[in-house]
Amino acid sequence: MELIGYTCSYIPLEILSATGLKPYRLLHGEISLSQKGETQVRIDACPLIKSNLGFLLENKNRFACIIGATGCDMSRRMVEVVKTFTDIPVYIFNNPRTDNFEIYSNEVDGLVNELEQFFHRRLDKSIIEKECEKWEKIRQHLISIDAHRRTHPSALSTTTFHKIVKGYHQGKFEEIAKGVPEEISYKPRIYLLGSPISYESGPLLELIEQRLRICGDFNCGLSRGIYIRVTEKSVTGLKKAYFNQPPCIFKRPNKRYYEWVEKDIKATKSTGIIAFVLDYCDNFDFEIPQMERCLPLPILRLKSDFSFQNISQIKIRIDAFIDVLASLRGGVV
Amino acid sequence: MKKIRTHAPRKIGLAAWSKQFDKIAEETIRKYKYYNNDEWGIYFSPPATFMVYGLRELKRLKFDNSLEALRMWGFVFNETERLFRAKQINKKLIATMGDLGTVPVLVMAFPDCIPFYPECLWWTPFFKESTELLDTASKLGIPEATCFSRAVAAAFYKKAYFPRPDLIIASTGASCDDYSCVMQVVENMGYEIFWVETPCRKSPDFFLSRPKPQILEKSSAGLVYSKILEEYLIKEYQRIWQVLFKLTGVNNPHRLTETIKKVNTLRRMVMEIKKLNAEAEVAPLPALELMTIEFGNLYGYADFDEWVEIVAALHQLVQKRVEKGLGVLPKDALPIAWVTPSADPFLLNLVEDLGCRVVATEYVINQSLVPIEENIEPLRALARSFINASLIGTTEERVKNIKEKITQRQIKGVLITNMLGASHCAMETRLIERLLGDVPVLAIDIPAPFGITQQIRTRIEAFVETLR
Ligand code: SF4
Ligand code: SF4
Repeated sequence: MELIGYTCSYIPLEILSATGLKPYRLLHGEISLSQKGETQVRIDACPLIKSNLGFLLENKNRFACIIGATGCDMSRRMVEVVKTFTDIPVYIFNNPRTDNFEIYSNEVDGLVNELEQFFHRRLDKSIIEKECEKWEKIRQHLISIDAHRRTHPSALSTTTFHKIVKGYHQGKFEEIAKGVPEEISYKPRIYLLGSPISYESGPLLELIEQRLRICGDFNCGLSRGIYIRVTEKSVTGLKKAYFNQPPCIFKRPNKRYYEWVEKDIKATKSTGIIAFVLDYCDNFDFEIPQMERCLPLPILRLKSDFSFQNISQIKIRIDAFIDVLASLRGGVV
Repeated sequence: MKKIRTHAPRKIGLAAWSKQFDKIAEETIRKYKYYNNDEWGIYFSPPATFMVYGLRELKRLKFDNSLEALRMWGFVFNETERLFRAKQINKKLIATMGDLGTVPVLVMAFPDCIPFYPECLWWTPFFKESTELLDTASKLGIPEATCFSRAVAAAFYKKAYFPRPDLIIASTGASCDDYSCVMQVVENMGYEIFWVETPCRKSPDFFLSRPKPQILEKSSAGLVYSKILEEYLIKEYQRIWQVLFKLTGVNNPHRLTETIKKVNTLRRMVMEIKKLNAEAEVAPLPALELMTIEFGNLYGYADFDEWVEIVAALHQLVQKRVEKGLGVLPKDALPIAWVTPSADPFLLNLVEDLGCRVVATEYVINQSLVPIEENIEPLRALARSFINASLIGTTEERVKNIKEKITQRQIKGVLITNMLGASHCAMETRLIERLLGDVPVLAIDIPAPFGITQQIRTRIEAFVETLR
């Protein structure tokens, strides 16, 4: 067993990695996996959850354990389904939805303790320090790669960035180490928001980028998480860094999410926003009207269940969106 | 006082009830009042009144024919009026949301503070047979495939269903997301919300290795949890206490002790009613009334004292009926369990008409059914009672009691009512089917108001057939 599975950006992967296993973020999104997952949950469960379940059912033997979190309701409950339908040991990390550092801090301590017992390994100061250094270096490298996407003109597509960042989420670093291709684009610059982008979302990103350039995002599976800055290389430092990461939309209230996004939209000089929402992902779907009210750019909402059945419709909507962007800027986007 | 003729227990419709109401003496009608006010607090009226006011579903529903049930319905349907009255007489209205049963206990410990649950409005579209609130929710951008609690956002938007609350306390965390998202929408409308964290009840199943016994505790309902959860909740309740203190200027812990006692009186009676109902040879009360009684535990429909008396009367009625072997359903009605409350009350009638009898329920409000400890520090007692909450733990724990009843052969089948797209329903239904698979399980999606089709009837009929 080489992997330790986890589900959320609030789970410090340095601590998981200190077990000697590869931290593997569960971010699958593919229709056949989703159908497999559907054997255990209802059809109206989130497609990401269903795909992750499908993936775990197929790869049971690769996982030493799964660390789930109280992110969204479905994601928390996924852990119970995994426990019921596989033999993979599971753990729940109580990620507070309010600004409650005490709970977060206790939960991180609890996680360390739990992993130590389970793997019979002391996650001492020096191990944690080494992990902090390793992952911080990787994140810094990813941030420097991300900078290529964000320049004006944008020099890297999100399609490529997605392939690179996958390595971070899957604990494989070969892609990250490779050089960055030159992909200058003058296409309209847009910002991506919404539900997590899965490992198999490449075709969707490609489809968008045939006409537009995604030059920034706030999605799990893309750049959310790489902007966590660990300056103090200890468990205490990890707690601070992870707790203060770019705020998730699930936090209540979620004002800080909007503040962050608004600032980042300006920084990336985006001209429009695409909000990608998975079917039954209430957390993002419910927020679209607020995004339209609060964020200063036109928004295109794309809904998906990973099946790409609506691909031609998506294409038409993207074209129409470009017209909207152009009309707002005197024909120039 | 004119003697009221008692009728043999049965379920009756609107017209029969109006007729019966005519025979009730004026002094009986005047006897019962909310907020103890003689002038405008009278609530005893026939359901036809509320049908005229817009609760159209009442003409399809059948109700228990007792005076006690009639009183109950008058009180329950009068809630909107009551909330507006409360505001007029300077009571403070506190919207308590998401926790289902514990925060109101804190609220009631403060003078002239009335807790209420806006999410209970999810029944309104069904009682009204109108999609108005749901349509408004869609206009507000809330997806259609979500829990009917989205009606709440529309109600906040329309400002006609309850007065603007003086304070909104909303729980979030390891609980239902649809509701937390609805409340975020309400906050986005400009309402200020006091958010409270409800952490997950981490049972030993969610530890990788066996947790040390000293970090665990057992709840009053026998659920094992991580002790630290209790401390988290106490701190959250301290925050609520502070905010209520700020609002009222009163800081009197003794009142909380007294409130807990009162709440316990109600909880014990309701548990007893449930037990009597389950064990009696003939069902003493219909499922619709029983569900309404169970939900009254949450906040006493905004007049807790009056509600306690209403339930006390119903309790006596049930006792009497059981003693005499009387009831409202045929003797051979098939005992089933009901999991997740039905947004459409008509279904409870329907299932009984088709031959079932509800003897166990899991309406996601387990936390409001357990007595609160009286011999420990009150905030800790509240935390401990909340730890039994249905939605903060696993599905397995949620249906534990029902499973036991299946093992003891007290239940022949399980009916689950789902909402399409509701987060916990989507994840739990298959698990429940698997966990309770020793008896037939039927899961049905609640359709939009006035949407119960022949197909749903046929499915329930087929389910009943398999139970026979
Ligand atoms: S969206 Fe938020 S809760 Fe969900 S995985 Fe990402 S960070 Fe965690
Ligand atoms: S996509 Fe939405 S519903 Fe699915 S796990 Fe993520 S937040 Fe939850």
